[in-house]
Amino acid sequence: MATKTIMCPTCKHQLTIEGKPGERKYITCDNCNTRGVFTFPIYKPVAKAETGPSAIEVKNLTKRYKDLTAVDNLSFNVKKGEIYGLLGPNGAGKSTTIKAILDLIKIDTGAIKINGFDIKQNGVEAKNSVGYLPERIAFYNNLTPIQTMNFFCELWGVDKSIAKSLIKEVGLEEATNRKVGTFSKGMVQLLGVAQVQIGNPPVFILDEPMGGLDARWVKAIRERIIALNEKGATILFSSHILSEVEAVCDRVAIINKGKLIAEDTIENLNKYLKIKPRLEITIPGLNGKIPDVIKGIAGIEAIDVKKDTIFVTCESSVRSKVITTLEGAGYKIDNIKTVEPSLEEAFVKLISAKEGA
Amino acid sequence: MLGVNPKKIYIIAKKEFMDNIRSKWILLISVIFIILTIVSAYVAGGSTDEVFGGVEATVVSLMSIYVVLIPLIAIMLGFSTIAGEAEAGSLSVVLSYPIKRVEVLLGKFLGLGSVLAVTPIIGFGFSGLVIVAVIGAEEGLAFLAFIALAIVLGLIYLSLIMCISALAKTRVRAIAGGVALFFWSMIYGMIVMALYIGTGGDIQGFVTGQVVYPEWLFATTVVSPGDLNSMAVMKAFGINQAMGVSVEPPGWMTMPFLLIIQLLWIIIPLFLAYYFFKKRDI
Repeated sequence: MATKTIMCPTCKHQLTIEGKPGERKYITCDNCNTRGVFTFPIYKPVAKAETGPSAIEVKNLTKRYKDLTAVDNLSFNVKKGEIYGLLGPNGAGKSTTIKAILDLIKIDTGAIKINGFDIKQNGVEAKNSVGYLPERIAFYNNLTPIQTMNFFCELWGVDKSIAKSLIKEVGLEEATNRKVGTFSKGMVQLLGVAQVQIGNPPVFILDEPMGGLDARWVKAIRERIIALNEKGATILFSSHILSEVEAVCDRVAIINKGKLIAEDTIENLNKYLKIKPRLEITIPGLNGKIPDVIKGIAGIEAIDVKKDTIFVTCESSVRSKVITTLEGAGYKIDNIKTVEPSLEEAFVKLISAKEGA
Repeated sequence: MLGVNPKKIYIIAKKEFMDNIRSKWILLISVIFIILTIVSAYVAGGSTDEVFGGVEATVVSLMSIYVVLIPLIAIMLGFSTIAGEAEAGSLSVVLSYPIKRVEVLLGKFLGLGSVLAVTPIIGFGFSGLVIVAVIGAEEGLAFLAFIALAIVLGLIYLSLIMCISALAKTRVRAIAGGVALFFWSMIYGMIVMALYIGTGGDIQGFVTGQVVYPEWLFATTVVSPGDLNSMAVMKAFGINQAMGVSVEPPGWMTMPFLLIIQLLWIIIPLFLAYYFFKKRDI
């Protein structure tokens, strides 16, 4: 649980709130009743990501399917102990990259190392340190979760006694005696999360682990990823759910059409792209009309309006001027919210910049 | 293929056995198999004073069942084992573990082969026990050879379907390959016979039951595992009649020769399966 002191943008009253990392908290100012939303940050120190030895090294990876180049000369390093996001739209080459890392597909060129072991030369040693959760996971319909886990424990060479506790940990203990063939997609995914932890590997590769799941399962899996990382594991995590990558990852590689577009921390990506926070001001009775008084304020990059809410993109120093100008002109502000730039915005901007180049 | 870990092969084999032995389809077809076997043994005894027929009569009667049902069970067991599991995602999880593809393939072959062996062991074993009880232990022992040959036939088709499954890009294509394999096996004998008649074969001899087949006709069985297996069974039990027509194989078609060719039918497709599986993108 984290504690944060924030200032009400309307009356400057200070509020102290509590929440978990990543939690969205709805707040009402004790003083002026202004309502807003605050998301507790879960970013980790950048230093952790940028130093230390690599857990996964990908160098000049290229994979072609006939005329299609799925991955094009891709290189990146995942440092030990970080959560590294592989982000891109469907068909960007994320799953192909992950499969290449695990030697599940034959590559045209490139070199891949896991914990220093070349996946081609020392495949067994390299895989000894990896837990993998594929995008589309399936187990064996006629086996129970315990039998499934026992099988993977044997394959890993660890004591089968951990199977039960892992099943319990992911919340499947009530389904222990059911055949996996009767499980819902979310339950199979959770069994996958239990399976991936067998042998306590130092590196986890998770391909779209929350894809197609409802909010309940997404939350459970996100918490598990964070817990694994807190125990010191390195996690390579691919997704097209931008908010999930944003909430969980230390660094992100953005790929599109098999090529690396950008690689950095989320904060740095946003800085690099100069995407500014957006001010959302709700004034009852606006009806889609932008007040003339703020149109001439210097420093405003963009103004938009939707029904009773104005969206202003500007530097933080300009925000208070916008608010006071509106109040001075007699507008009764109902709510003010500052929305930080999302990865989605960075993603769209990066891709369009690359395509335009 | 060197440097395999037998323990890992065993782990995969055990999992395959546990998963597939509970398959409803396999269970259903095995029950049908067992019922037909008992009925055949009973019918074979119809021409004698005994309730159940002796080994030879029972074998002739059972042969027509197992050359159809055993390949069918093998194909049902194996078509999905690589193509289907790759498509579903379970194979990528297994291959992300510290295990070699050759170990996975051999484990699958042994595990599915064990499931396949259960059906004739139970089905024919029951008939064998009845024969032992009614006729005597000596004939019952001979029946063990029959069970072994039935398992060999199953392993041949398992090896073939695993090769198809390793090559097929999708589960649907693997099913199509399995169906084609099954029907080809069923019609091969008819095609050869049509060739024989079409090239001036002795039609009259079929009526009298006294056909002297040319040597090339026997040679064609080498490329037909079902016929090859039937020849081995006939040879093992000294049966020289099939569907009322006397069959006298040439001298070179000895029992060791028939066994070696059947062994090659297991090894070569399995080796090809490994080749395709190793090259395959999962």
